[in-house]
Amino acid sequence: MGKKMILLGNEAIARGIVEAGCEVACAYPGTPSSEILPAVAKWADELETKTVVEWGANEKVAFEMAAAASFAGKRTCAVMKQVGLNVAADPFMSVAHFQLKGGFLLVVADDPGPHSSQTEQDSRFFAMFAKVPCFDPSTAAEAKEMVFDAYDLSERHGIVTMLRPSVRVDHCRQDVELLDVLPIERPASFEKDVKRWVCLPAHVKINHPLLNKKNDAIREEFEKDFSKYNYEVPAEGKASLGIIAGGISFAVVMDLLTSMGRKDVSVLKIGTPYPLPTKLVGDFIAKHDKVLVLEETYPVIETQIIDRSKVLGRLNGWVPRAGELLPEVVEEVILKALGEEVVSSSEEEYLKKALEELKIAPRKPMLCPGCPHRASFFSIKQALPNAIYPSDIGCYTLGVNQKTVDAVIDMGASITQSSGFYLAHKVDGAERPIVATIGDSTFFHMGLPGLASAVYNKHAFVLAILDNSITAMTGGQSHPGVGEKLRKEDEGRRVDLEGAVRGCGVKWIKTVEAYDVRENKDLVKEAWEYAKANKEPAVLIFKHPCMLLRVEQDKIPVKVDQDKCIGCKFCIDFFNCPGLVFDEEKKKAYIDERFCVQCGVCINVCPHGAILGSNGEEA
Amino acid sequence: MQYVIVGIGGQGILFSSRVLGHIALSRGERVIGSEVHGMAQRGGSVISHFKIGKYSSPLVKAKEADVLLAFDQNEAIRNLHFLKRGGKAIINVHAPEAFENESLKQFLKGRDIELYPIKGYEILKEHMNGRFLFLNVLILGAMCGAGIGNVTIDEVKKAIEDLAPPKHIEANLKVVDLGYGAMAK
Repeated sequence: MGKKMILLGNEAIARGIVEAGCEVACAYPGTPSSEILPAVAKWADELETKTVVEWGANEKVAFEMAAAASFAGKRTCAVMKQVGLNVAADPFMSVAHFQLKGGFLLVVADDPGPHSSQTEQDSRFFAMFAKVPCFDPSTAAEAKEMVFDAYDLSERHGIVTMLRPSVRVDHCRQDVELLDVLPIERPASFEKDVKRWVCLPAHVKINHPLLNKKNDAIREEFEKDFSKYNYEVPAEGKASLGIIAGGISFAVVMDLLTSMGRKDVSVLKIGTPYPLPTKLVGDFIAKHDKVLVLEETYPVIETQIIDRSKVLGRLNGWVPRAGELLPEVVEEVILKALGEEVVSSSEEEYLKKALEELKIAPRKPMLCPGCPHRASFFSIKQALPNAIYPSDIGCYTLGVNQKTVDAVIDMGASITQSSGFYLAHKVDGAERPIVATIGDSTFFHMGLPGLASAVYNKHAFVLAILDNSITAMTGGQSHPGVGEKLRKEDEGRRVDLEGAVRGCGVKWIKTVEAYDVRENKDLVKEAWEYAKANKEPAVLIFKHPCMLLRVEQDKIPVKVDQDKCIGCKFCIDFFNCPGLVFDEEKKKAYIDERFCVQCGVCINVCPHGAILGSNGEEA
Repeated sequence: MQYVIVGIGGQGILFSSRVLGHIALSRGERVIGSEVHGMAQRGGSVISHFKIGKYSSPLVKAKEADVLLAFDQNEAIRNLHFLKRGGKAIINVHAPEAFENESLKQFLKGRDIELYPIKGYEILKEHMNGRFLFLNVLILGAMCGAGIGNVTIDEVKKAIEDLAPPKHIEANLKVVDLGYGAMAK
């Protein structure tokens, strides 16, 4: 037995990656996957391995770096969230056909719910789409163990292998056993072989049938040799119901059956949903009158079942087709499948009534007190109140609270949407101000191609790059514009943001302090005038470090002059700070000192001069 | 033993479950729990589930939690349904009149739930110069003071000594005592 430690699921996966002898680890942060790569760096430092650990500018970059390192024979991994795989879909689909050399683990963290994503797509479907084997862990400890098997499978079959933890596995905390590092001595040796490493159509004609053969062989292994991940927990006596459950749903089902005291339900756990061990599943179904399939979020196991005549699942409406399978949801589904009543208690009604009477609703996420984005959004809204505001993925999507985020698609789309909005008006001979907002990390991720395209095609809009020197939403990771790297004593170099923008051909660029709301309001107007006159994008870089970086800054205590406040709520609607709140009874704004960090920006916000610095500063 | 810990993103609730986990592991018990990271951490409602014993799933089901630790009273009320019959809750209260609500009283009575309010913000303002980030250890101290949660104050202090950054240990231990004292009164 090794030492036991309580780890976050993501730390456990990272530990597995280092223990399994991975030498090249690449990622782009995204919830719920973000903690994995920093933990790989931490374990690698601690265990003194040579593993290189790097953030790519985006997921495609990270995937391709890891892939080529595998071509050279190294054990590698690429880590991302589910929508990150959309970005890396191109190399993923392609590399699936390659006969790889070093083991290549792809970790894709899914977000059923979703909690922090724009979709709740199921990456197991992506594995099926690419014909790539997939492991689906139920706990942190299992996720760690699966890392070893995924590498082993990947090397035996020369195929990229997916580990798909979902958010409850990534962010579960559990006692996990720590092991030593597998000694793997394997110098980099890339052997040139055009048929193997160049994806010409002629080679695909050979490699695709080969990929199909690998799928058949792996399915066979999953039928027989992986009973530690695919096994039955039988009922006592004749089962009233069979349940097939994968991933976190298996864990939920097991705890539920215990608390419900049910011994008449048998469960088949599936830890390898693609390629599905269809014989194992078929035999289980044959033993039961009806079988419920529980998996998150799409019917991946279910669609692969050959005879579904006894199956209750998503395809025939027994299981909710969206949202997380929380214990309360699963309990209801199980009772329904058993043909039993779902009893709700009368007390719950009192609690519901109390919540209504006390007007208590879930608290929506907000930008942190002191967040520079709030100041930037305020300047933009005051400068061009009728503009269209395309925005992007990051903390600043919370600019919706300030009515300065109108359309968000995915990473980088603030810029490309601006082009689209510009063109839609241009065909009519019309014009409307457009101000896009994008974060520094997102700009390097996927902003650059859109900007080059907008300069080339001559699109008029203002691009506000909100540079807080960090990837903030995901917990504070570095990126090319910051230049720091993950491992101790590992040297990186900062890529100049303004230089990158200039390199795309932008002529009007200004970098400003985000807190200077009054000056910035004029500059936003000036930028739009320039963009309009010259038919090209103008770029304003709003700079100020993220509050999470805890950089020392001046503290300016503020108060709301209760006589001057007329209760118009302007500050609530357009500044929206947790530290500046409205007293519905007194109809006045006031400072909530539990949250206020004394950034002093709001002094310039009140049109009636009611917000004052307590040293007498006045707007 | 099943705990639910609720609050607002940024209040530092994750540290509380780390302390509980550390205690359980040093006793040789199994632990599993669930945390919230990402967008919700930006000032939104956050919830942490924590289970000690032979469990597979990190999630606590409604009506099964033994203890609710609430850093914010609104979040407390929103999550009372997690408590089992006879469950207990430590609640950081800032507007006590809410608990006079009749429907709420009916619910609590019906489910035999006991509340332990603590005026966390007032205590930290008075004794800790308004450093509200100490709420997490204050609440853990209060839990020990109330004699619920199945851990002792010594275990909590030992865990904090092991987990907190060295320069903050002394202040943290002081706040544990403040929480303990507020309940023991």
